[in-house]
Amino acid sequence: MTKVAVYGFVRIVFDLLGPPSWWWGAVVPLLGGVTAVMGVLYALMEHDLKRLLAYHTVENIGIIFIGLGLALAFEANAMPAAAALALTAALLHVFNHSVFKSLLFFGAGAVLGATGERDMERLGGLIHRMPLTAFAFLIGCAAISALPPFNGFVSEWLTFQAILLSPALPQWLLKFLIPAIGALLALSAALAAACFVKAFGITFLGRARTQVAREAVETDRWSLAAMFGLAALCLLAGILPGYFIDALAPVIHPLTGANLPRQDELDWLTIVPIAQSRSSYNGLLLFLFIALAAGLGAEVIHRWSSAAIRRSDPWDCGFPDASPMTQYTAGSFSQPIRRVFGSVVFRAREEVHIPAPGDVRAARLHVQLRDVPWDLLYVPAARLVNYAAERLNRMQFLTIRGYLTLVFGALVVLLMVLSIWQ
Amino acid sequence: MAVILDAIVQLGEMLVVLVLAPLLAGYVRTLKARLLGRRGPPLVQPYRDLLRLLRKEVVLAHGASWVFRVAPYLVFATTWVAAALVPTFATGLVISYAADMIAIVALLGSARFMLALAGLDVGTSFGGIGSSREMMIASLAEPAMLMVVFTLSLLAGSTQLSSIAAFMQGPDVGLRVSLALALVALVMVAIAENARIPVDNPATHLELTMVHEAMILEYSGRHLALIEAASFVKLLLYVSVIACAFAPWGIAVSGQGFAAYLLGLAAYVAKLAAGGFLLAVFETSIAKMRVFRVSDFLGAALMLGLLATLLLFVSRGT
Repeated sequence: MTKVAVYGFVRIVFDLLGPPSWWWGAVVPLLGGVTAVMGVLYALMEHDLKRLLAYHTVENIGIIFIGLGLALAFEANAMPAAAALALTAALLHVFNHSVFKSLLFFGAGAVLGATGERDMERLGGLIHRMPLTAFAFLIGCAAISALPPFNGFVSEWLTFQAILLSPALPQWLLKFLIPAIGALLALSAALAAACFVKAFGITFLGRARTQVAREAVETDRWSLAAMFGLAALCLLAGILPGYFIDALAPVIHPLTGANLPRQDELDWLTIVPIAQSRSSYNGLLLFLFIALAAGLGAEVIHRWSSAAIRRSDPWDCGFPDASPMTQYTAGSFSQPIRRVFGSVVFRAREEVHIPAPGDVRAARLHVQLRDVPWDLLYVPAARLVNYAAERLNRMQFLTIRGYLTLVFGALVVLLMVLSIWQ
Repeated sequence: MAVILDAIVQLGEMLVVLVLAPLLAGYVRTLKARLLGRRGPPLVQPYRDLLRLLRKEVVLAHGASWVFRVAPYLVFATTWVAAALVPTFATGLVISYAADMIAIVALLGSARFMLALAGLDVGTSFGGIGSSREMMIASLAEPAMLMVVFTLSLLAGSTQLSSIAAFMQGPDVGLRVSLALALVALVMVAIAENARIPVDNPATHLELTMVHEAMILEYSGRHLALIEAASFVKLLLYVSVIACAFAPWGIAVSGQGFAAYLLGLAAYVAKLAAGGFLLAVFETSIAKMRVFRVSDFLGAALMLGLLATLLLFVSRGT
């Protein structure tokens, strides 16, 4: 659904508005970069699995708009090859995001169906009860966190390559701004990894926190088939990105007037956006090498040294606690990041109430987060609309004379506007 | 023929990385002990530790899932592949075009992702504290690293490490403010990523100060051996990246003959020794900082990296 906005943006800005001016290439990527970082920070503070994913869509749309904005900047300066690279990166990310985000939402839906819970603080340990869902969800998590060899990495890598072409731009503002946007992109990618460690780790790993999580059952096989199909697509688009980039070429050419070099004829399906000496990436080879190294390691170790396993209680530095309540929760997992970024972005306030010694009441930690853009942007806008509506409401109860005067007045004003206009 | 030679160099490189990594760790440990006035363990102690761990059985917690058991292999494999992509004693590696520096950073990110998940798997509080803090550190260290990559690749016109090394050996580098800033940022990131003092203490026995060690607290036997080996390789990788990008002297180029490779190897070992020495001196001369000071430390690294990139446009090499 959110891709409709991207489609509309591309059609209007690239197609209809004619040649872009260079400052669009500053505004759009900056908005994209800020959106990406804010989106992922909101997602990190969220404990509701589906809302967490929704905030991540905000992040990914930000990343897509970084690519689109870069394409505009290059387009405005008549650098069609670079514009094609940036636009390819953006559109490939649109595709990738639609794959892994659907996968993750299916997974969240399966969890919701099995437990009736979306709150991560009341889940945990689902990997034992829903192993297949957990596996597919894990692949989605790795893909959205831009980890090689999955598909999310490819489009972010292409975006980075486009950013690295920015010194060729003549405008000084863009020269300085775009590396900073690169930093925002890198920050959002790293925070996304942290967020999905939280999302997967708290929901699927650890011990079950509630009875419903303890009794969850695996979802039906059609849902599983859908998830595994998308997971396979995540891996495929990650290790064979050349074909997907080539498939985008017919879209890119009319919009930017150039194309990336054809990718499917290169050795070993490497992708080379500009030139071999500049940068190249080969997901297939990386995937094979990782599989080979892991397999070799496992084989050597199991053959020549011990393969024995003994099950025992967790060690936990000698103080294992039987209660699952002592585990790390989603709130505690994001606490360090809340402390680092929260005081600025969320005006986060933490209050600890510790009862006096001898008092047996439980200690309480109260965390307050403010949604700053909401407070500064949406709330005043909503207030303004409300105020205007209330004032205009009076017009509903005018007399017939009043209405006639109003119509007449409006006519006069419009005619005056028209006469001044021409 | 040339391809076969390159393949042999690649294999040799992968083995050299694997063999030298524990030695570097042992060397740093011994040096640190000497600097503190202790005799310290012998140089080969890390090898003995690894062998001992490999021979022991794995004690697996009851609640551990397959993620916990698969993670060590994946962590080791990803780190090893990442290290194999860094030119150590020779450039022109067969698979070096498979991944550039951005991909190397991301590969290390994959390893960290798996390890952080494994930390949460058993459901203990120490595993959680380790994972959570590790991801917090990484969320700042990774962008800082990428800014260093930006600086280097904008300068060299390539994100491939071998091209960067070739450029840095060339005549048109010059002394630049940017490079100095990038070097400082890279060293700071390397310290944080390898869990060294002042960010984390690899030798700590106090649970509350542990980050990396807390995350892997539940591991034992061969799993622990793999994770330890991966962290040795990671340390070697960072020293190699610094050496390759900022001190690329002596690196053999493909097709230069046997003598060049030997020279390259000798130069590489010398660089490792120098890097290890500097690390040991630095670690003994500074105190560990509080966890929440780490964000200032890494935030500074990120800003230095960004500044290095921006100054590229202002400064001219002299």
